[in-house]
Amino acid sequence: MADDASDNAHEKPTQLFTLKKWNAVAVWNWDVECDTCAICRVQVMDACLRCQADNKQDECVVVWGECNHSFHNCCMALWVEQNNRCPLCQKAWVIQGTGK
Amino acid sequence: MSTPARRRLMRDFKKIQDDPPTGVSGAPEDQNIMVWNALIFGPENTPFEDGTFKLKIEFTEEYPNKPPSVKFVSNMFHPNVYADGGICLDILQNRWSPTYDVSSILTSIQSLLDEPNPNSPANNQAAQLYTDNRREYEKKVCKVVEESWTNAYTKS
Ligand SMILES: [Zn+2]
Ligand SMILES: [Zn+2]
Ligand SMILES: [Zn+2]
Repeated sequence: MADDASDNAHEKPTQLFTLKKWNAVAVWNWDVECDTCAICRVQVMDACLRCQADNKQDECVVVWGECNHSFHNCCMALWVEQNNRCPLCQKAWVIQGTGK
Repeated sequence: MSTPARRRLMRDFKKIQDDPPTGVSGAPEDQNIMVWNALIFGPENTPFEDGTFKLKIEFTEEYPNKPPSVKFVSNMFHPNVYADGGICLDILQNRWSPTYDVSSILTSIQSLLDEPNPNSPANNQAAQLYTDNRREYEKKVCKVVEESWTNAYTKS
């Protein structure tokens, strides 16, 4: 009896620990994905690939559509020239706002 | 020289290495990141199973605002693949989105293999056999699957 109880007590904490660690990793990955400009694959808070190359980091702003998808304004400006739709949800692109 | 298109392709390459999609692979040529060689493995439980098909992808400086040109290098028998290996797939033409990357292009082509669209045929014989004579269709597919093995060993 006493032996069984101590065995259980020994095993349980190890299992709980592994499970928690796995969850934390998954959540972190998801957050990063949401903040990335889907066109150039750079985070929207950083300058887009084009502005990084041209050294225009300060001019690069974020644009939000009414569909709530956001991209770099420069990345989106080039795309809407040929197709005025959100590249993620295919809805007509209507700008809700721009900013840093 | 590093242009936005080349930098985006570097990111595509990193993504395909860090998070490899199942059943497809691809890498740029040694000296030219604008040209990629790719492999698509025939999906399981389809007539294309066990095939190892080679493709060539060519990008322009307008990528990702314009789609790349994608062609099968291996022989292919499929309703939506032209005799020269060109592929008739909406996301590579009018339904292109700049959010696609090499991984999603290759994965879409892989799923096209078993879900052909006989309404916009690029290979009339394949489209006709697919609708009217599935056994004969699968025989022809089986032949290109076998050819893909010999090509995989001799051409690389
Ligand atoms: Zn961007
Ligand atoms: Zn920018
Ligand atoms: Zn959207």
